[in-house]
Amino acid sequence: MNLLNLIRDSLASLDMDSTLKHVSEALKHSISIMDIVNSLSEGMRLIGKKYENGEYFIAELTVAVEIFNEAMNILKPKILGGREMKHIGKVIIGTVEGDLHDVGKNLVKTVLEVNGFKVVDLGVDVSPERFVEAVKQYKPDIVGISTLLTSTMINIERIIKALESNGLRDEIKIIIGGAPVTQQFTESIGADAYGENAFKAVEICRKLVGK
Amino acid sequence: MKSRERLLTALRHEEADRVPIDLGSTDVTGVNCLVYRELRRFFSLPSKPIRPLITGGSDPSLFTFYNMVAEVEKEILDTLHIDVISINRTLEPTLDVKKLSKAFINNKWQITEVKFKQWYWGEWDLTIEIPDYIDIVENGDRYIAKLGGREHAVAPRKSFYFDSRRFSTPLKNVKDIAEVKDFNWDSYKISDLVLEDLRRRAEHLYKNTDYGLVYFRLGSIHAWPQDLRGWTQWLSDLRLRRALAEAILDQVMDVVMYNTRRIVDAVGHYVQVIGLADDLGTEESPQISVQIFNDIYKHRYETIFTYIKRYSKSYTFLHSDGAIYPYIKELIDVGLDILNPIQISAKGMDPEKLKKEFGEQLTFWGGSANTQHILPFVEPEGVIEHVRKLIEIFAPGGGYVFAPIHNIQPNTPLENIVAMFKTAYNHGKYPIKQIG
Repeated sequence: MNLLNLIRDSLASLDMDSTLKHVSEALKHSISIMDIVNSLSEGMRLIGKKYENGEYFIAELTVAVEIFNEAMNILKPKILGGREMKHIGKVIIGTVEGDLHDVGKNLVKTVLEVNGFKVVDLGVDVSPERFVEAVKQYKPDIVGISTLLTSTMINIERIIKALESNGLRDEIKIIIGGAPVTQQFTESIGADAYGENAFKAVEICRKLVGK
Repeated sequence: MKSRERLLTALRHEEADRVPIDLGSTDVTGVNCLVYRELRRFFSLPSKPIRPLITGGSDPSLFTFYNMVAEVEKEILDTLHIDVISINRTLEPTLDVKKLSKAFINNKWQITEVKFKQWYWGEWDLTIEIPDYIDIVENGDRYIAKLGGREHAVAPRKSFYFDSRRFSTPLKNVKDIAEVKDFNWDSYKISDLVLEDLRRRAEHLYKNTDYGLVYFRLGSIHAWPQDLRGWTQWLSDLRLRRALAEAILDQVMDVVMYNTRRIVDAVGHYVQVIGLADDLGTEESPQISVQIFNDIYKHRYETIFTYIKRYSKSYTFLHSDGAIYPYIKELIDVGLDILNPIQISAKGMDPEKLKKEFGEQLTFWGGSANTQHILPFVEPEGVIEHVRKLIEIFAPGGGYVFAPIHNIQPNTPLENIVAMFKTAYNHGKYPIKQIG
């Protein structure tokens, strides 16, 4: 089996040591960084499938994220002169005001990065004003808003209104997610899409940027 | 029928005169202080500061209020026909002597009398009563709760409760087992003074009231290491660093079993329910596979539940949010009697399926209304129908205690809350009418 397939499969089976060994070997064999990252993405996609099938759980996703980040730590110094990798889109992501939860948001962030998105993470408890500033500053394709709490979920609508009143709404797509969010709620507040889990969110983001 | 007898009848899986009702016997089956203030207004009670229920956590001697769940006063207990209370109560009915807690005073941990002081949450125009050994300071967009000068919990100004997790990851960078052993585990073992205080309170409430009595937050064997290491890191530990995880769990179990033995021996003959809190689920699925659950946790739960059942008359209670259907059979296997909160909106937590499969062995404590998607958003008529249907599913044959699914949150219309409890009382009378 070639090294790229080994990278993909060892990540998919959550074998940290083998994944890192194969990544290092691939580098020695002058395989391009882009190809290696693509294999890791493939592996992550297989993990997403296993998650959706009920074979993997959030624990397995966090393991996959940890392995992926370790692999990227090996690759990053080799990315020539710090030249940025090509991105398929830019996403700003944050948890709504009043809410400090970030597990779901962080997972979405990593899976987006794995899939070639540039992600700007605004953190937790992010005010509508901060979202507006960030959209002006980073000019993203997509804004992702996360919430765990039913009580703070309504703050998502305030973010959307703030983006509208600043004339920024038409320049971006808005995707929302988190425990209390439903498709119906998404439509009622005028967001563009609802990501039921990290993998669905990424699938939707790819569609939103036409990839 | 009196409340305690009603509760015990339900726990024996028999039909009492009606379904027992809980509001606020734990800090996960209650009502947020802000909503509670409005509820008092709704019932035309005079305005006054709201006192949150104080509870211990991983350290059962240290009482904090961070979940901001109101201590439900006697008038409201009566009005809503509530049957169960916490032995940690500080309002009527309770033992009229000082309550004790651990606190950091004069640069050292000591046991002190809990005295309350007022604190004003400006964003909500809400005055609450908090233990005087906790100070709240403003820091930009946040309020920081400090204990003896050290940051202990944080709340965004526009949130509704405090979160202590981000200050509680002391084992985050631990790499080897020796470092795990060096950690001050003994500081989490319950103090003798606090224990004696709990015993006296439980005895007093047992002898002088008819309420069902609950001791909650005996400990956690998943959520606590998850706090100590970090939420996601612990999940990775279970797979990538199993030896380290096992070493942490051995220490955790040592503490939890010390506290279990002491607390069960002290209050186990007075309280009807002893509860643990361990969040094991997400909205979509359990956090870990059943295989890892069985390898890591099942036998440890068995040790805890077995002790409770062998040395007391209490029933075992576990609070876990989320989609935990695959664990339920395993938990029943090792002695779990009561599951809370039955998050019916999470995947696989279908009320009919749960009652059919586990109703004979397990008491459902919660499952009263979908607090995430229905209770805050529909008209009272919708609440009545929703709650009625759930009672028709869960209540037959007993094994059901009516309680909100987790705490009732701000932005929930008061009419809906009142409709929920009225329906519980009116439609919860046995034999349950099946309207469908």
